[in-house]
Amino acid sequence: MHRVEHVMGMPIVVAVRDGDVPDAVFDWFRHVDATFSTFKADSEISRLRRGELARADASNEVQRVLARCDELRKETAGFFDIDAVDGDPSGYVKGWSVDEAAAILDRAGFEEYGINAGGDIRTRGRWTIGIQHPLEPQEIAQVVEGDDLAVATSGAYERGDHVRDPHTDEAPSGVLSVTITGPDLGTADAYATAAFAMGGRGAPGWTARLRGYEAMTILSDGRVLSTPHFPSA
Amino acid sequence: MRKRLIAAVAGLATIVLPAANAVAGTAKTIVTTKRVTGPQAVAGPFGYVEVILVVKKTARIVGTHTTVTRKITNVLVPIFPNHTSRSIFINQQAVPLLTNEVLTMTKFNPNIELVGGATATSYAFAQSLQAAILHAKKI
Repeated sequence: MHRVEHVMGMPIVVAVRDGDVPDAVFDWFRHVDATFSTFKADSEISRLRRGELARADASNEVQRVLARCDELRKETAGFFDIDAVDGDPSGYVKGWSVDEAAAILDRAGFEEYGINAGGDIRTRGRWTIGIQHPLEPQEIAQVVEGDDLAVATSGAYERGDHVRDPHTDEAPSGVLSVTITGPDLGTADAYATAAFAMGGRGAPGWTARLRGYEAMTILSDGRVLSTPHFPSA
Repeated sequence: MRKRLIAAVAGLATIVLPAANAVAGTAKTIVTTKRVTGPQAVAGPFGYVEVILVVKKTARIVGTHTTVTRKITNVLVPIFPNHTSRSIFINQQAVPLLTNEVLTMTKFNPNIELVGGATATSYAFAQSLQAAILHAKKI
């Protein structure tokens, strides 16, 4: 069975093969929203951004997320950079919160589940996943199949041109979408955002050198460049 | 060369003016982030290098006194990944490892239960393939 709720400004689908989706999963997403939302004036992140809360005084959870964002900036040569968006960690929080929700389902004994948060997916067990065509929203461009996957996609079609190259503040060119797969959705999502921001010239070469993560880059000229172990069905 | 440049600019990390004022009362804080692009400099055989500083300005207003703190929160060197002969070499080694296909619409696979990359807004979701699959009660 599955449940869909709109939390953190997006639809979140939680599907389990056996049993019912526990309330604890959506309670967790609501907690993440209350803590990290940039739309809620009293969230810890909003207070940090206004300078009312020092980073050292933030909760352990917030400090861990910001520390990981710092690491991801270094891992992506500055292409994933929350300082470029005035300290908004949403680009990592979405994937990370799904990883934590997966841990809740693991602890509750679920062995086959899928979570889809606004198009970014984490699964346990074997699932067949369609990757949306970047130009035809009702169509599938690629089918991914595998066990225990995180699948994150970044593209211009998500929410308008919201990904920018933090070095130039310009929308990337030459690339329609980048999909990253691997063990951890927070990391996969940040890598996808970074690779997309690099544009068509930079993204393929960078993704070819990732360790533990596979990538599929769809270029504006219609070429689809995938790393050797990308889990295409 | 790059490291030296970063060290030189990072030395300017925090500028506080004027000294903090201890007047009690309601305080207002305004935080702004600005990018400062430096001049292009020649960096040996690698061509030009340019440094961008991300500066976070915090203005704390207590009564009529304003305390301004500027902090460099990031130093970016926008030469990645194709601007140096070394990075071009690395990319030339990496790209042939990728499989090269042509973008097509895949025939719908009935086993698909989850759809990735879907538009994140609730309106778009209602019309999405993912919503249709759920509506069909496949899971």
